[in-house]
Amino acid sequence: MDKSEKKEMKWIYEEIVGRIPPFSLLSYKYSILLQLLLLLVIGIFLGFVFNIEQISMLYGSLAILVAVSWSLLILQLAPTLRKFRAPLSKDENELLERYKDILFNRNHYEAVPGLVIFIPFMFYLFYQGTDLLEMWLGKEPHIILLLFVSLLIWDICYRMGLGLWTSALALWRSIRLKRLAEKRTELEHTPYTELRYLQKLDINNVFFGIISLLLLPIFKTDEFLFTVILVFMFFVTFTSVISAYIISKVPWLPPDIYDLVNESSFAYIGTSLGGITHVTPVVYVFDGQKIYFNTSKEAKKLKTMQQNNKVAFLIDKRDMSNIYENKAVMFTGEVKIYGLIDIPLRLFSMLGALKLFMKKYPEYTKKYSSSELPKAWQLTPIISRILVEVKPVKIIYWRGAKQISVPV
Amino acid sequence: MQIPDEMRNILYANYFGYVCTSDRFDQPHLTPVFFVYDENSQKIFFITNERSKKIKNLTENPNVSITIDIRDPVNPFNNEGVMAQGTANITDRAPIYFLSEETLQLYYDIYLEFKSKYQKVIDNKPMGENDVIIQINIEKMVYWKGPHFKSLKFSKDSQVFF
Repeated sequence: MDKSEKKEMKWIYEEIVGRIPPFSLLSYKYSILLQLLLLLVIGIFLGFVFNIEQISMLYGSLAILVAVSWSLLILQLAPTLRKFRAPLSKDENELLERYKDILFNRNHYEAVPGLVIFIPFMFYLFYQGTDLLEMWLGKEPHIILLLFVSLLIWDICYRMGLGLWTSALALWRSIRLKRLAEKRTELEHTPYTELRYLQKLDINNVFFGIISLLLLPIFKTDEFLFTVILVFMFFVTFTSVISAYIISKVPWLPPDIYDLVNESSFAYIGTSLGGITHVTPVVYVFDGQKIYFNTSKEAKKLKTMQQNNKVAFLIDKRDMSNIYENKAVMFTGEVKIYGLIDIPLRLFSMLGALKLFMKKYPEYTKKYSSSELPKAWQLTPIISRILVEVKPVKIIYWRGAKQISVPV
Repeated sequence: MQIPDEMRNILYANYFGYVCTSDRFDQPHLTPVFFVYDENSQKIFFITNERSKKIKNLTENPNVSITIDIRDPVNPFNNEGVMAQGTANITDRAPIYFLSEETLQLYYDIYLEFKSKYQKVIDNKPMGENDVIIQINIEKMVYWKGPHFKSLKFSKDSQVFF
């Protein structure tokens, strides 16, 4: 019973609306869209009936547009979290379960921030003598119009509340996850795909914050509410940017593999073209998140990778004295070959990789720069040594004779 | 024809080989293996579990390459290695009494060679139940030392085992 409720992951407002036909007949996403479209139609209809000024109808439509965009962004949360695979760390799994549980709690905490915004806002609007109502609806508006505007205000406030709720929770989750990740042992980790999902949701929330700027014209005559919207925008945007940044710093490799990749000096790159395979040793660097290797512009493997960018990349520790302690990791996936076009966009990551190469292989860098070498071997950055990034899809890890498949 | 000394030395003096296979979608796969080089037949052999991904790939695509090298983390000019490219034969996977005499002889010879080479590691352990011997029929071999390359093509008439 508990389980099915957890799987639902719906918020109260969407759940109630979802039970009323015709919304109950549609999928979650379309029911929200239809609902807001209906609001728009009713709004325009009422506008004509009560002879509302065009600018007011524009304001109303703007508010509905904001509500639609917010809904579409925030509604990605549940499906994304639903396909989330459990992290391979007990603590991190518990954290994410707790995060999901609070986010979609049975007691519907998510409606609280919305109410906390809605009630004082209505109070402010009707009793504080602001001229907003008059600006929107004219003098002595009809009760139906007032009801409609209240509904619209609730739609906006409720979603603003969701924005605050989700972005604050996301920041808390990211900070906790980063801390837990520092205490991992052996093969504990949260897979790369899941970390990217979390980051994507955070970036959605950044847009959520920015979209609220569209509300500013509606409140332009009221300095106080204007400021409130700005504060809201800054809060949501900044917490989400910080949350996404923290997630980007969570290692996607479990500590055993992280250390192996970090400490080893050589790797092998396997390529294949038309079934003919090719394998050579390469030097590589790891910045904690990305793996780069270097290849000569003349190398056969470069030509192969340009035609088929699927690779196998292996890093190992070889020790004949203790064979059962040997470790190896193989990444299969694709490569991104950096070229001149990438310089403007990825200059910093390219320079960062180059710096790591100079630090990890000082002798190599020195020797490769000597002009007595064949041209293809000279370490003239970018021009004759090509930077390649490994983008793993699958990880196989060997410890002694044991083979373990590690989710990415 | 004998392969040049520097290539032979590498093949004899090193314990790890890196085998690259690829599946029918051209997705490469790479694993470290123990291997032996047989001078007479000019072939490389390694043992692997018949359920491994390598075997699955080799049944889809028999092309294989193996790299054996010496790596110097300080001086790249000391880096030395060979890469052999060719096709793989997988020995019959059947109970011993169904195997042909040549295959049995091959198992015996290769296994003895493995034993003498990897004495320290495999002790007196018999070959695993699901292990099979893979024979690499070398078609091309590349040798490098520092920035210098040398490449060698093999004729197809070299002796075939099975």
